[in-house]
Amino acid sequence: MNTIPLRQTSLRNLHLLLRSAPRFVQDQFRPQSTTPSVNPTEVSHFNALASTWWDPNGSSRLLHLMNPLRHDFIQACHASQPVPPSSSNLKFLDIGCGGGIFAESVARLRSTGSVTAIDPSPEVLAIAKGHARRDPGLQGKLTYLNTSIEGLLPPKSIEEQYDVLSLFEVIEHITHPAEFLDSCTPFVKPGGWVVMSTIARTWASWLTTKVVAEDLIGIVPRGTHDWDKYIDEDELRGHFLKERGWNSPQVMGVVYVPGLGWKKVPCSEKAGNYFFGIRRDE
Amino acid sequence: MNPLQNALRARQLGPYVCSRCTKQMRHQRRCYVTSTAPSIPEIYDVVCVGGGPAGLSLLTALRSSPATSNLKVALIESQSLTPTSNFSLPAPQFSNRCSSLTPASVQFLDRIGAWKHVDRERVQPYEEMQVWDGVSGARIEFLWPQGEKGKTIAYMNENSNLTSGLLRRLDELGGVNVFEGEKVGDIAMGEDGKGLDLRGWPVISLKGGRKLAARLLVGADGQNSPVRQFSGIGSRGWDYGRHGVVATLQLETVGADDGKVAYQRFLPTGPVAMLPLPGNHATLVWSTKPEFAAHLTTLGTRDFMAMVNAAFRLSPVDLKFMHTMQKSQAGELAWREEHTTFDKLRIPASVIGVQEGSIASFPLKLRHADTYIGERVALVGDAAHTVHPLAGQGLNQGQGDVESLVKTIKYAVTHGQDIGVHMSLEPYNAERYAQNNLLMGVVDKLHKLYAVESGPVVPLRSLGLKAVNALGPLKHFLMSQAAGTGVKIL
Repeated sequence: MNTIPLRQTSLRNLHLLLRSAPRFVQDQFRPQSTTPSVNPTEVSHFNALASTWWDPNGSSRLLHLMNPLRHDFIQACHASQPVPPSSSNLKFLDIGCGGGIFAESVARLRSTGSVTAIDPSPEVLAIAKGHARRDPGLQGKLTYLNTSIEGLLPPKSIEEQYDVLSLFEVIEHITHPAEFLDSCTPFVKPGGWVVMSTIARTWASWLTTKVVAEDLIGIVPRGTHDWDKYIDEDELRGHFLKERGWNSPQVMGVVYVPGLGWKKVPCSEKAGNYFFGIRRDE
Repeated sequence: MNPLQNALRARQLGPYVCSRCTKQMRHQRRCYVTSTAPSIPEIYDVVCVGGGPAGLSLLTALRSSPATSNLKVALIESQSLTPTSNFSLPAPQFSNRCSSLTPASVQFLDRIGAWKHVDRERVQPYEEMQVWDGVSGARIEFLWPQGEKGKTIAYMNENSNLTSGLLRRLDELGGVNVFEGEKVGDIAMGEDGKGLDLRGWPVISLKGGRKLAARLLVGADGQNSPVRQFSGIGSRGWDYGRHGVVATLQLETVGADDGKVAYQRFLPTGPVAMLPLPGNHATLVWSTKPEFAAHLTTLGTRDFMAMVNAAFRLSPVDLKFMHTMQKSQAGELAWREEHTTFDKLRIPASVIGVQEGSIASFPLKLRHADTYIGERVALVGDAAHTVHPLAGQGLNQGQGDVESLVKTIKYAVTHGQDIGVHMSLEPYNAERYAQNNLLMGVVDKLHKLYAVESGPVVPLRSLGLKAVNALGPLKHFLMSQAAGTGVKIL
């Protein structure tokens, strides 16, 4: 087996992650593909899910239901700025766009100028492209690319950078989250945001996402989640705030209540699903 | 580039139309499109079929809200809108198609800027209701408690007054493509073009040849809604075996100084209601057996007035007999009135005139669609539900639907959702269906309860009515519900 040397900086920032994640340690020593952020088993898992991505009553229903909250969260991030962002022509980069649930929705907003959405799975991206053809309003605003972040040419100027880089339900599927986040940095405009949502690594999230959602009720396909890869909010905060040129971290905990849908619950970021946003220094 | 793409690009597709088009739309007021029909559908965000109160309120609400004012909207109405637009009757005349508008509906119409365009001289608020059992005489008086005296229960208004007000507001707002006097020929799913896949979009073909593709197709097209039929949504219910007789009446007196009163008497054949209009006018809604209704509409003015006065005064037995008389009901009433005791203060003033040509009759039914939404389809107003007129809730339910649907669309737009997909529309159905179903159930049960002429039900329902009358808080609750200002029970 090839061993990949870990960089010192990553080690320093990942020590919290590694402490309780034995699977993760193994992943560190797996052979690296050409797109290092992407895990091949994850890609094939989502390939298999591609056909049900846009079925509102299918396995992605929870994601569809969560989507409006993503917009609420981005609005909250923007509202926290001392000077509000432009109300038009915002540029979005959606990484791990999947079937395009978020990418399509953000492209529809009046304040959005353009959306670039990328995903490493060709099958999933084909679904996304096919679905976008069904909405004439998306033409010219939304571009899908079958690539990982490593395959994307880094912006050469501020004009090419993005106002918002989104990583929704992505980071928990990434093999090397710290390096991955570092590779995202050049894409974000000074004063722009990285927004993400993921799941805290707690007994509660293990119970709800693995045991209940996947095994007992089956609302989420088995194997969707890898609990060992879940990341806590303070780990993300620590990663960004340690001499990295980021400020104003924002967090919003959400809980799925059957019959009511996703609800914002203060402090629930400590237990389960949460949104995290951080602003790049101007 | 292929011609389809070119054509579509030129038209600037989209949910949230480009700034050039928005400017253009602001400039064109209500544009009446007359150009020749293209074979490629024009793309709209909302196509509303039906230009009645529900459809016009929907478009007005969408146009007046900043969040939804960028949506590209169209109205298809099979009739010409010009007569409605220019609605006016000489001062003492009133249309026989009136509805009671609850304060909640009026508040909504005010918020969307339409209420100020309604001719207020023709609107009559009322502050009191007198409801009684025609068989037992048990009565319930809906009066507001001292502190809330003079609070409006509802506003009687001609439907045309409302629709013309809405049209004036729409004219002021502009930006609606109106296809009036155009019938819907066919609704089918779109096609998969090269750049665009419209297989999930309903395409409405007008008889004139024009084609409109709708992100969201709204059926505000009445009881027999073609939109509902296209979407395969079933509608269930029954006919009451009753007809509603309407007329515009002139009364002996203007009524009490301290406010107007609505009267309703439950007769075994159905309820008869007299609702106040401005001055000494009132509108009649009398639901009765079809044969009685047919006969009523053929009577001479004097005899018709006698029948209406008898309906609020005589016993059901006397009234039944008078229904069978070929003519001279007027003389019969004079004789029978002398031998019947009734409280003059708690019944409407005598009818002394009927507006010429205002007597009409229509069948009463209950219908409820199985759901109000489908993929890229939403139903509002009578297309979704038809209710017995006894509680005066039909039009208000439609306004409630519109308010809820617009709220749902607004949320979808601000959250980047496709406003047409089932998932985006779910909150509308969830909010309105149960609420309407409950109201329709209550109204239906009331009708059936009072259709009983004898037996143990009569004293029981009278006891119930008397008990409600004695219980202040319960009555207050019922009045608030009728006014649409109470706590939502669902």
